[in-house]
Amino acid sequence: MSEISEVSKFLAHTTPFNQLPAAQISRLTRHFTVYYYQAQELVPAETNRLLIVRTGVFSLYSDQQQLLAKLQEGDFYGYQRLLTELGDHDQLRCEEDGLVYWLDQQSFHQLRHQFKNFDIFFQRLFSRRLHQYQEQQHNNRFTLKIDDIIHHRKVTIAPEQNVQTAAALMTEQRVSSLLVEEQDKLVGIVTDRDLRSRVLAKDLPASTQVCQIMTRQPHHIDRHAYLFEAVQLMSRHNIHHLPVMDNNVSCSMITATDIIRAQQDHPVYLIGQIHRQQTVDGLEQCSLQIKTLAIVMGKQQVPAAEASHILTTLTDALTQRLIQLAQIKLGNAPCVFSWLAFGSQARMDQSLNADQDNALLLEKEPVAEIADYFQALAEFVCQGLARCGVKLCPGNIMASNDELRLSLKGWSTRFARWIGTPTPAALLNASIYFDLRVIEGSRGLFNALQQDILARTVNNDLFLLHMAHTALERTAPLGFFKNFILEPDGHHKQGLDLKKRGISLLTDIVRVYALSAGITQINTRARLQQLAKLQLIETKQMQNLLDAFDVLSQLRFDKHVHELQQDHDVTNLLDPAHLSGLQRHQLKDCFNVINAAQQSLRYRFCREL
Amino acid sequence: MPLLPNQRKVRKWLSRLQLPDWRTLAQQLNFSRKLTLKVPVSDIIQQFDKIPAADPRLNIADCRFVVIDIETTGLNAKTDYIVSIGWVVIQAQEIVLANAKHHLIATPVSVGQSAVFHGVHDHHLTSARDLSEVLSEFLSDFAGAVFVAHHANIEQQFITVACQRLFGKAPKLRFVDTMALEWQRLQQHGKVVKNQDLQLNACLQRHHLPTSQQHHALADAYSCALLLLCQLKQSRDPNLQLADLYKMAKM
Repeated sequence: MSEISEVSKFLAHTTPFNQLPAAQISRLTRHFTVYYYQAQELVPAETNRLLIVRTGVFSLYSDQQQLLAKLQEGDFYGYQRLLTELGDHDQLRCEEDGLVYWLDQQSFHQLRHQFKNFDIFFQRLFSRRLHQYQEQQHNNRFTLKIDDIIHHRKVTIAPEQNVQTAAALMTEQRVSSLLVEEQDKLVGIVTDRDLRSRVLAKDLPASTQVCQIMTRQPHHIDRHAYLFEAVQLMSRHNIHHLPVMDNNVSCSMITATDIIRAQQDHPVYLIGQIHRQQTVDGLEQCSLQIKTLAIVMGKQQVPAAEASHILTTLTDALTQRLIQLAQIKLGNAPCVFSWLAFGSQARMDQSLNADQDNALLLEKEPVAEIADYFQALAEFVCQGLARCGVKLCPGNIMASNDELRLSLKGWSTRFARWIGTPTPAALLNASIYFDLRVIEGSRGLFNALQQDILARTVNNDLFLLHMAHTALERTAPLGFFKNFILEPDGHHKQGLDLKKRGISLLTDIVRVYALSAGITQINTRARLQQLAKLQLIETKQMQNLLDAFDVLSQLRFDKHVHELQQDHDVTNLLDPAHLSGLQRHQLKDCFNVINAAQQSLRYRFCREL
Repeated sequence: MPLLPNQRKVRKWLSRLQLPDWRTLAQQLNFSRKLTLKVPVSDIIQQFDKIPAADPRLNIADCRFVVIDIETTGLNAKTDYIVSIGWVVIQAQEIVLANAKHHLIATPVSVGQSAVFHGVHDHHLTSARDLSEVLSEFLSDFAGAVFVAHHANIEQQFITVACQRLFGKAPKLRFVDTMALEWQRLQQHGKVVKNQDLQLNACLQRHHLPTSQQHHALADAYSCALLLLCQLKQSRDPNLQLADLYKMAKM
């Protein structure tokens, strides 16, 4: 009855209080006191209470007077001391007049004991690790595991048995594939498709041994893995059967049909379908399904990293098929070539609004008919991709650009110029070229180029200094909730650019480290893991950067999927008003991680030479 | 159980008179009995007046404020009734929500039209308390405190009249009026002040303070307390004394 509704309403919208039952919040308000801070006023450090910012802005400074964070509506202070009973030397100063709520020590601890999520929230906040705890899962359909859908029934055959026995066994057991085992060890698999294409079509006798036609060392999956991991493995390798392992011993088989049955709406065959298309029209039709696939992945909470991987795989498949179609139309290529992708496609973290960044690497100098042929091929592929929803690059970084069809020597000279005499302006435009991957054509040719580039960048202090400077050009917004870092997108909309102000900053940082160490991985997550393995960055920092990368990618992916569902334009501009309390905290943590990483990058690469 | 014909007649008669049900009626009878008996100066007022008012030389930070808001059936303290009372306490410049209180008051008549404003309808009044009880509690808890209200005239008049009726004598209450403080502040900034500029919600918005449901006695008392905290800080005088505050709140 005597509850202040203004206070309880606020708490009901603030993480982690919003996890408490309503009646609890109502009782809880009676334990609060309310204080008004004026700008420049210091918050006493020796307080054994939890502070919650209601309005205004507060700045947290380290004992060296370095700005650590800006606290705004819904942020907390004092939990450190409450959790550890040790003071720290941070100083909190009011920047803009504001109200704060104080919660007494006893109530704080009582809530921690009573509500696990409440405790976890502050523990994580305290350890300054990204608190990625999921709001309670209401639907476990999204987190199905392999174990949840398979029958524990294994149908096996010995490798020296003949294919007729295999076919009989499959018919009898009504299965489409067999595990081939030798002394209880999985050595291969045989599918009914193998019997057709590797036996019947090749006119082999029924007495042919299974080991002659089986797929050796097949991809497999653990029974405790998530279902979407199987989906991903299948779509990445374009396969339909996966042996399921329990402690490295096979226990069952999972098929694409099993997965479709479990997840009715998952178009797992899309890649296969792309590779079967004979016309650009057909590819365009296929590409329409990508939107549905993305929405399904969003619904099934496929992690953004996996989803981007799948999306990239689809773009790869479209590109590969278009190159093949181009060759059917134009005849075989006059020389060996590699189709290169740059940027996000190269890093395999393509988003739903990515545009094309590609080029051609040629075995021979592009002159005369070689030049004409590849110009036609590039035009065909780039226009084809555009029809399939991968927009043309506004910066004209495309193979259809004459400047971007070069021989190994041509590319090598160009990279040498960027690397040898770096200017900030040139590097800003060139940094995208340093993430490159071969999509189709000769891998050897590509490897030669990659080795050539890495040989020039490793331990090249001047180049790395300039790359680092470029990576430090932009910073993450510390206090963007007060609207001062929101940027216009040209359509009179404002928001926080998740790519420019977040994801790109991270990939830029990681790229500098990767180039300095000569790491061949291109994917940001893979680069980070490799860097930590080589002990070039601390494991803890690697973990933080990985988490920040995942959080940002997830936010962007979820946003894009939402926009797709609403038939809106897919953009990277995020309206902070649409964030939940938890997301705001995560985002701030991400920015803090990025800031810290930029500091170490500066320390590492930008010292006086 | 079906009503007897004459019971039904009585009900009809009562409703035509716009009188509330028997319970409220009984309370009214009780209430008027107290009026006619002319209760002598009750202990409540004596006790209250015995405790000295807050020393005007007190530093603001050491004052105990009680911020009060009442909702009434109208603006005339003599003819209208108190419908609800809410108050919050400020100690050491912090609003202590544990001491916040909200009481619905049993009125001798239907709250009728005024319910549109304060949202207290007749059916709420079953949990209502006797005004004398509430005022006794209030006066014994807050003797010696500094009283605060927004547009304090209303609170002062209604409490004074109610105490005279209930206890035969009014306590000596001195109010700090946040509306007057706001008026002074705006005047000093050379602004032309219109009436609506001084309404509680307008003041909150001007100071970027959270606004809430208006015309709820406790919500308004809380809002008024927020406004006072802000006004005290904006005086920019760490040695501000209670006497200065009284002076500033003169209209």
